[in-house]
Amino acid sequence: MRKSLFVTLASLVCAGILLTSLPAAAAGSRVLRVTFAWPNVIDPAIGNDYASSSSIVNLYDTLVFPNAKGGVDPWLATSWNVSPDGLTYTFHLRGGVTFHDGTPLKASDVVFSYNRFKTIGRGFAYLVTPNIADVTATDSRTVVFKLAQASALFLPSLVRLYVAEESLVKKNTKAEGPYGANGDYGTTWLQTHDAGSGPYMVKEFPLEQYLLMARNTTWWGKFNPNAPDEVRFIGTTEGVTVRTLMQNKQLEITDQWQTFEAYQALEKIDGVKVAALPSMTSFYYMVNTKKAPTDDLHFRLAMEYAFDYDAAVGLEWPGTKQMVGPVPASLAGHDASLTVYKRDLDKAKEELAKSSYAGRLDQNPVVVQWVSEVPDEEKYALLFQSNMADVGIKVNVVKVPWLSLVENTSKLQSSPNIATIYVSSDLPEAGLMLKQRYHSSTAGTWQQNEWLQDKKLDAQIEDALKTLDAAQRYAKYSRIQQELVALAPSIWIYDQIEKHAYQSTVDWPATRGETSLIQGYVFFAADIGVSQR
Amino acid sequence: MPILGFILRRLFYAILVLLGLSMVIFVIARIMPGDPARMAVGMQAPQWVVDRLREQMHLNQSLPVQYFYWLRDAMHGDFGLSLVTQRPVMSDIIEFFPASLELVLCAGLLAAAGGIGLGVLSARHKDTWIDSAVRVFSYTGVVTPSFVFAILFVLLFGWILHAFPVIGRLSERFTPPHVVTGLMTIDTLLAGRLDEFVDALHHLILPALALAMGSIAQESRITRSSMADNLGKDYITSARALGISERVVMGRFLLKPSLIPTVSILGLDIASLFSIAFLVELIFNWPGLARYGLSAMLHKDLNAISAVILVLGAVFAFVNIAVDLIVAALDPRIRLHATRSA
Repeated sequence: MRKSLFVTLASLVCAGILLTSLPAAAAGSRVLRVTFAWPNVIDPAIGNDYASSSSIVNLYDTLVFPNAKGGVDPWLATSWNVSPDGLTYTFHLRGGVTFHDGTPLKASDVVFSYNRFKTIGRGFAYLVTPNIADVTATDSRTVVFKLAQASALFLPSLVRLYVAEESLVKKNTKAEGPYGANGDYGTTWLQTHDAGSGPYMVKEFPLEQYLLMARNTTWWGKFNPNAPDEVRFIGTTEGVTVRTLMQNKQLEITDQWQTFEAYQALEKIDGVKVAALPSMTSFYYMVNTKKAPTDDLHFRLAMEYAFDYDAAVGLEWPGTKQMVGPVPASLAGHDASLTVYKRDLDKAKEELAKSSYAGRLDQNPVVVQWVSEVPDEEKYALLFQSNMADVGIKVNVVKVPWLSLVENTSKLQSSPNIATIYVSSDLPEAGLMLKQRYHSSTAGTWQQNEWLQDKKLDAQIEDALKTLDAAQRYAKYSRIQQELVALAPSIWIYDQIEKHAYQSTVDWPATRGETSLIQGYVFFAADIGVSQR
Repeated sequence: MPILGFILRRLFYAILVLLGLSMVIFVIARIMPGDPARMAVGMQAPQWVVDRLREQMHLNQSLPVQYFYWLRDAMHGDFGLSLVTQRPVMSDIIEFFPASLELVLCAGLLAAAGGIGLGVLSARHKDTWIDSAVRVFSYTGVVTPSFVFAILFVLLFGWILHAFPVIGRLSERFTPPHVVTGLMTIDTLLAGRLDEFVDALHHLILPALALAMGSIAQESRITRSSMADNLGKDYITSARALGISERVVMGRFLLKPSLIPTVSILGLDIASLFSIAFLVELIFNWPGLARYGLSAMLHKDLNAISAVILVLGAVFAFVNIAVDLIVAALDPRIRLHATRSA
C-alpha cells in the first residue's frame, strides 16, 4: 500500500518534470517576456498606465517618436513645418506605411484618431487635446494641426497620439454607446484587438493573464537584429512567482514593483542583473501652505533643515539621489544649480524661532498622511516624525488609503499638513511638471497639496510653456524653480529610480540610457534584443 | 413531489437572501471613499469626462434611485460596464467564472478524496502513529492559509523540482482552444487535444492543491472524529458480532453515516473556496473571478464588485441547497423531516 503510494507520487513528480521540461515555444524563436501590474488596457484612446502604455507603444505608431535626449524624432511624419506664430503645424506622412491588416496609412487616419481621442476624453487626451483647435487632412499624406495658443509641449505630446486605422475601427464599432453618433467608437472591440501599424500586433489577449504580441513582419521601421518574434506581457507581480520564473529562465525582464529585498534576491540568481533606470518620478512631501502651522514660511524652512535627506535616500536602492529642487533631474529644463536643503539642526531651530508658532509647537502638530497601498512610505513618515522631534515639532503620522488621500486633498479643509506622494511627469520637460505640481489649476487635486494658488507663479509657468525657444524657456523654468525653493512649499526627497531585474542575455537599450524615459518606451520591443531558444 | 416543494422553498429563501445581499453590497460599495467615475477615467481626465460617466452611471441620483436602476438592469443580466476592464461586467464574469469554477471543482475533488481518505485512514488506525501523523497534518493544514501553501508549492515544485508550471492555465507552446465551457480541461478535450488536456491538468494541480489543503485537513478531522464516534455505536458492535467482514463494516455501515457532517462542511468549504481563492489566483496568475473581484475592489469598480459578490452569493446558496439534498440522500431521517416540513 505504502509502496504503491510512493510509486504513484514519484511518477507524478517525474511526469511533471517531463512536461515542464518540454520546450516553451518553437525552437529557434525569440521571445521577450515581461511581468507587469495589471490591468492592461490596449485601446489607444483609453489606456495610460504603465502596462497599457508599454503595450500600446508596440502596437501603434505615432507621428513623432521620443528620443533619449528628451526631444522627438520623425516617425510616421518624416518632416513638419511650423508657422511663424507657432500656431500651425503641417506634418508630411511617410509613404508605404500599412496597418496590420495591410491597409495603407492615410492622413485621414490621423484625423480620425485625434477626433476619437478628443471625444472619448480619456487616456492621454488631457495631454494632447486641450490646446488643439483643429486637425485636418489636406491630402492623403498631409495633416495640419492648428493650435489655440503656441505651446512648447505640443510636439512632444504627440508621442501619445497613437494612429489607429479608421476603416477597421469603424467596421468594429457598435451603434449603441456613450459617444452619440459614434456609438461605442470601437471601444469594445479595441479592448482585445488592435488597429495599429506598430512593430507588434495582438496575437492573444486572455484578459487578466497575459498579452501576447507577434512581430509585424511588414513594419516599415528597423528592428534590432535580435528583436523578439513574440512579446508576452504577463499580468503578475507576485514576488515568489516572478522570482521562480526568473530562476527558471521563463522571464526576461521583471516588473518594477518588487520589494527591495526581492531585487537583492533576484540579483543573486545566476545570469540575472538588476537595472536601475532613471525615471521622471519623484517622491514629494507636499506641504500645505494654507494650513497652520505649515502656512508659516519659517516653520516650513525649519522642517526643510530638520529632515535627514541622506538617511531617507539611504533607505532606497543604491544610486538613488536626493531631489535637486521641485522637478526630477531627468527632465529637460531642470536647474541642477539650485540650493539643496540639508539637515542642519541649528538652522532649523533658528528658523523655528522666527516662526509665528515658536513656543506653541505642542498646540500645533503637523499631520502627515501617507498612502497605505505603498507600505514603504511608512518608514519615511516615521523618519520624518523622529527628525522633527529633534527640534520640538510634533508630528502625527496617519496611514490613509489612496482614495481617501485623493478625497482629502480635494478640499482645503480636509487637506493634511503634509501628503506624501510620488508624482510622475508625462513628458520629459520641467515645465509640465511645474504646471502639474504648482499651478493653481491643480490645487485641489492629489497632485498639489501645497495649495499655492499664486497668480504670479501661474503666469510665469504659462509664459514659460508658450516660449518656443528652448534656451529661453529653460531659463524661465530655472527662475521658477529658484523661487519655489525659496518658498519651500514641498520637501523634495528623492528622484525615483525604476528597478527591473533582467536576464543578462537581453540586449536592453534602456540599461544604456538609449531610450526615452516617457512611460512605456523602455519596453519598445523592436529595439530590444533577446537570445534564441 | 415533497422534495420538489423543499427545493422550491429553499430557492425562494435564496432569492430573498440575494436581494438583501445586493442591497447591502450596493450601499457599502457606494459609501467607500473616492469617486468611482473619477477612478474609472483616471486622475488626469478632464472634469467633463467624469461628469459624463457620472451621468451614465446615475451617480448624481439618490441611492434608492441608483439602486432601482441597478436592480432593473441586473434582472436582465446587465451589470453595467466594468470600470477597470472597460467591458460589460457580465462578459467579464462569463470569462473569469469558469476559471475559478475549474479551480474550485478540482480543489473540491482533492478535498473530498484527500480529506475522506485521510479521515478513514486515521479512524482505522485510531491512536496509532498514523492517526497522530494525520492529526498533525490536519492541525497544520487548518491553521495555514492557502496562500502560504501556494508559495511553498511554487518554491518546492516550481523553483526546486521544476516539476510544475507556476503561472497560467496552459503552456506557451499551445494556443488556447476555442472556448466552449471556459473550463480549460474540458475545452481541450472537446477540441480533441489530449496533449493540451494533459498540459491544462498539469497547470491546474498546484493551485488546486494549494487551495484544497485547508479543506483536506478540515474534512479529515471531521471524518475521523465522526467515524470514531460511530465506531462505539451498538449497530457496529452488532455487525461485528454477526461476523460481517471488517471491510464491509467500515465501508458500508460506518462510513456512510459518518460522512454526513463531512459532506455538510465540504459543501460550505467549496462555496467559500471561491471567495478565498484570490491570493492563490494571484500567485499562480490564474484568471479567475476571485482575482477579478479583488481588482474590482482595489479600483472601486462598483459594478464589478456588486456583480461578483452577487455571483458568489448565488454560488453559496446553490451549493447549500445541493448539500442539503446530498445529506438528505445520505440520511433517511433528514429526508423524512424535509418532506414533512415541505
